[in-house]
Amino acid sequence: MRRFVQPPAARESVSARRSLAYRVAACSLPMVLILLGGWSGAPSISGQGQTPPASAPGPSPRAVLDQYCVTCHSDAAKTGGLTLARLDPEHPVDGETWEKVIKKLRAGLMPPSAARRPDRATLEGLRRTIETSIDSAAAAKPDPGATTLHRLNRNEYANVIRDLLALDVETATMLPPDDSTEGFDNIADVLGTSPALIERYVGAAGKISRLAVGNTDLGPLSVTYKVRGDLSQDRHIEGLPVGTRGGIVIRHNFPVDGEYLFKFSLLKVNFGPQYGGAAKDEQLELSVNGERVKLIDLRSVPYYYIRGGGAGGGPAVPLEVRLPIKAGPQTVAVTFVKKSAAYVDDLFQRFDATTADLQTGVQFGYTTVPHLSGVEILGPYNITGPGETPSRARIFVCRPASAQGSGAAGSADRAAADETACARTILSTLARRAFRRPVTAADLAPLLSFYRTGRQGGDFDAGIEMGLRRILTDPNFVFRFERDPANLPAGTPYRLSDVEIASRLSFFLWSSIPDEELLRTAEQGALKDPAVLERQVRRMLGDPRSRALVSNFAGQWLFLRELRNRNPDVLVYPNFDDNLRQAFQRETELLFDSVVHEDRSVFDLMNADYTFVNERLAKHYGIPNVYGSDFRRVAVADQARRGLLGQGSMLTVTSAPNRTSPVTRGAWILENLLGTPPPLPPPNVPAFPEKKTGQGVAEEALSVRDKMVQHRTNQPCLGCHQIMDPIGLALENFDGVGHWRTAESGVRIDASGKLVDGTPVDGAESLRRALLNYPDAFVQTMTEKLLMYGVGRVAHYYDMPAVRAITREAARHDYRFSSLVLAIVKSDPFQMRTASGAAPPAASATNR
Amino acid sequence: MYLTKKHLSRRTFLRGAGVTMALPFLESMVGAQTVLRKTAAMPGTRFGCIYVPHGATMSKWTPAAEGKAFEFTDTLAPLEKFREHVSVVSNLVHASATGADAGAEHARSAAIFLSGGRPQKNAVRVGVTVDQIVAEHISQDTPLPSLELGIEEASLSCGAGYGCAYFNTIAWRTPTVPLPVENSPQAVFEKLFGDGGTTEQRLRRKREDRSILDSIREQTVSLQRGLPATDRMRVDGYLDDIREIERRIKTVLDRNAQSADPLSVPDAPVGTPEAFEEHVKLMFDLLTLAYQSETTRVSTLMFAKDLSPASYPLSGNRGGFHGSSHHANVKERMDQFALINKYHVQMLAYFIGKLAATPDGDGTLLDHSMILYGSSMSNGNQHDHGPLPLVILGHASGQLAGNRHIVAAPQTPMSNLLLSMMDKVGVHQESFGDSTGKLEL
Repeated sequence: MRRFVQPPAARESVSARRSLAYRVAACSLPMVLILLGGWSGAPSISGQGQTPPASAPGPSPRAVLDQYCVTCHSDAAKTGGLTLARLDPEHPVDGETWEKVIKKLRAGLMPPSAARRPDRATLEGLRRTIETSIDSAAAAKPDPGATTLHRLNRNEYANVIRDLLALDVETATMLPPDDSTEGFDNIADVLGTSPALIERYVGAAGKISRLAVGNTDLGPLSVTYKVRGDLSQDRHIEGLPVGTRGGIVIRHNFPVDGEYLFKFSLLKVNFGPQYGGAAKDEQLELSVNGERVKLIDLRSVPYYYIRGGGAGGGPAVPLEVRLPIKAGPQTVAVTFVKKSAAYVDDLFQRFDATTADLQTGVQFGYTTVPHLSGVEILGPYNITGPGETPSRARIFVCRPASAQGSGAAGSADRAAADETACARTILSTLARRAFRRPVTAADLAPLLSFYRTGRQGGDFDAGIEMGLRRILTDPNFVFRFERDPANLPAGTPYRLSDVEIASRLSFFLWSSIPDEELLRTAEQGALKDPAVLERQVRRMLGDPRSRALVSNFAGQWLFLRELRNRNPDVLVYPNFDDNLRQAFQRETELLFDSVVHEDRSVFDLMNADYTFVNERLAKHYGIPNVYGSDFRRVAVADQARRGLLGQGSMLTVTSAPNRTSPVTRGAWILENLLGTPPPLPPPNVPAFPEKKTGQGVAEEALSVRDKMVQHRTNQPCLGCHQIMDPIGLALENFDGVGHWRTAESGVRIDASGKLVDGTPVDGAESLRRALLNYPDAFVQTMTEKLLMYGVGRVAHYYDMPAVRAITREAARHDYRFSSLVLAIVKSDPFQMRTASGAAPPAASATNR
Repeated sequence: MYLTKKHLSRRTFLRGAGVTMALPFLESMVGAQTVLRKTAAMPGTRFGCIYVPHGATMSKWTPAAEGKAFEFTDTLAPLEKFREHVSVVSNLVHASATGADAGAEHARSAAIFLSGGRPQKNAVRVGVTVDQIVAEHISQDTPLPSLELGIEEASLSCGAGYGCAYFNTIAWRTPTVPLPVENSPQAVFEKLFGDGGTTEQRLRRKREDRSILDSIREQTVSLQRGLPATDRMRVDGYLDDIREIERRIKTVLDRNAQSADPLSVPDAPVGTPEAFEEHVKLMFDLLTLAYQSETTRVSTLMFAKDLSPASYPLSGNRGGFHGSSHHANVKERMDQFALINKYHVQMLAYFIGKLAATPDGDGTLLDHSMILYGSSMSNGNQHDHGPLPLVILGHASGQLAGNRHIVAAPQTPMSNLLLSMMDKVGVHQESFGDSTGKLEL
């Protein structure tokens, strides 16, 4: 989970240092007033209404550097590979180096605690000077950078198919995973191609075209929906009927009208022992679109997991159902009828995780109930027709007379002409959306040629299917071409065309193609008008498709996608289950979603006095009076729980399976919230002493903190751990799955410490306030990541002036999410591109 | 006479997924490809490399005795029943994985395993890997030149300027093109056997795919005009990829044109198993089928990725894989880590057992295979890159004696072994990676 992009920073040595006197002074630059907003740590971070600081001329930036920095960062010492001895902060040439300096200052990480440190205002003044000089130089000579040719990634591909063809497809099985860099999988540089990828694109195009058109020449297919083995199924699950427990809701696309076979499997093993034999009178229910279609009595199955078992004389019960189903997406729910709302009177107290148990599964005195482990949908069998699906409605914007069954359409020639005209309409409509621009005759020619091939071998629909298949493999579909205007010298920045910007917008905000309105607006050339652009952005943010920002941007920035790979040790956290894992993810998603869709300040991510919980999560957090599986907004009274720092998602994803990892937490916060990733540890680091468990071995009565102190007595470790550890240790009241605790191994938790800038912290609340004391670090880090994600390329040092300009602009609007997005969309890196000059003449050079 | 030995059973049971798979399709392929082979009795050598990150507890891995009289250590014990086919190779190092920029040891391990070259920081570049060089020579007449398999999903765990590609694959087609690893058995199955309910459908679709690719290739050439240089390079690569797929499709169509057998529909395994053991066995089942039918002769498989937090409770060690490898050199905890090593070797033994039980030409698949298994680390606690835990299985069609513990001189580069392994399958190079010579196998 570590991703460190900066070269090793200085290894600071340690000692106590005097605390900081936070005094606003010595800044005469006007923009400082805006940037310093929120510095006081007030809950509402605002750039407006700040009183200007008393201006007193402070020491010159050079003098500050000489006095406080050059001791270590001299030509001779070059601590951390950096010398500041001869760089001029007022006329910075080496932007790359200075941006590193800025990041350290921005988060208050330099000078280190052992060194002498000027007051906050002096340091901020130094940073402003450097920033201002870099920013004005950049304004005079903008460098918007250039993005490599983008290819649709797997998530985008799925969204595009959804928006183009009204078809939900599971791309995880169709396309190989994408590489990612800098934490995002939409960065053009690593979205290369390979034969395997092309093969899968071609395969996916064939499958999707068949599904979308409703090809009835279709063998049975099988799709399995797995239920995670660690999902507790003794309670109600959101989205399933009331009065049920466990199970799964599926939105399944049935390709054609026909019969389908549903097979159910029950959890058999849970790390070994058999599971699910004790409870009586269990029933499994299948419903389609909310209507029960089958109730399977499990009583006659001696062990539920034995399909068709029938031992003991009972009749065999095949756990499968065959049903006629209409084509199109349908909601399939498989669940158990809940037999009793009363507490089960067992000899053993159960854990929240019903499958956590390792030994007691079928023991006396412990009631277990069957758990669903998967639903397989096979079919179609006995196909009766293509049916009427949303996809067909979307594709067939016209029908030729011949296909409407009217024999009286006229001569065969006329019928053929009629068909061709309709095919042209259908394919050009699809191609315009798929290629995200007006289509040309050259675009259309191969599509129509494939249409004719398909039509010759089958009916009109078969022709359209072939044309669609050709669209979905077209390089104009797979790649997002942005072409330099002719004869522009290399290095010249230019504004992208409206149509290109429309694609950038839709892939940024929706991870998908532009819709009709956006495309039309772009084709009319209206996106150049800032008011029109703003209107479109606001409309797009309000559209449900903008949830892609939550799943793709927040999902990667905040490591939510990593959660599913985390498996806390069942012996240490017997109450952790998939229900909780899902709840963690949902909570953070909903928080981010509220910032996006209620257009809140992005500082609410750190500070919000509300969150979203269901019963399971509320219980985990100790929030009373929340019942049921549905999520709702609740006020967070507990200061320690507020914002990301108190959320189970972040706390779990930064923990080891069997304990907390303050180092990982500290490193995660430094990298993802403050933008200053620590370097990787050197080798030969002695391992963290684990807690000994098991019979006959005495447990060490050492807290994680004590062990860390032992661990970092190593001198080389100290420099960085000095920065990371106090941050992570302040969160020690949250265990490895984010549960509140006051003691570990019988020892009281000590969450106190001193941050590298000298700020004393004790617990999550004070840490949050201390971090927010550097608001620029947070908001600029988020902006940099959002810009990187939005443009789909790695952010470089020369993008930092744009990042600062974006945050300055957002500050004027209380850092509302829309203001951040709008400022990004209007920024040079988004709107512009640096011409790479004329491409060399065509060569057959390959990278083989 | 030999041909009769090559007949596959009509139904092969795909364990794990509980899927019964009819194989006449494969039979026909086998029947067809005998035409392509040098002789029916001399199938090509299958070449496989299996990677495990994080090293091993070497005291429980390395046999004490050298040569034929070596003993099976605790970790290697699951392989004892294949003694004749086992070559343990000791004392090799991947020295160029070590050195400056020390924090990135894990970032470099997978990429160096088969390349013998140091992955470049802040770039995506390492050497071409040995599997790909071999594939170029021995697997070009097969439908798939090579198969890249893995258990874990690609993730975002990348470090210190080393891109994710270094973690996610051990196969590099060119110095800058990593081959993505497939971890879905269903996808692997389709790759091996095609998409479609009936053979006619499958073949028709392949023909259609070919004409689509043909049309796209023409169009893409014209698209290149006016593209920025970097984009143009990418489009060039895309064109190469298209040609490669066209070639593969042609191979399959040609083979089927030569076959008179009716083909039937194998069921694909469904979904991706949650449990490691079920997953890895299913992958081995598929790989065995791929080898058996000579759909490919070259493969790589990653048990896990570096820094993997996976846990293997069935090994007896409940801890995370990476965490357990940092055992502080405390004996008790090194023993705990060895449990995971042994469990992984058990999975390997499952595969070797399948190869040994599958007739192939004049012997078994194992006779005609050369499977390298090991890690780019030895003691994972301090990120040592030698002496590495390595073992080779199979007789490589008579080229590899087996039943030996080969002890190289200390600090011998692992690249020497890779160079010699290439030799054994008829790919003769003077040097490879950081090799200093060849290793007598």
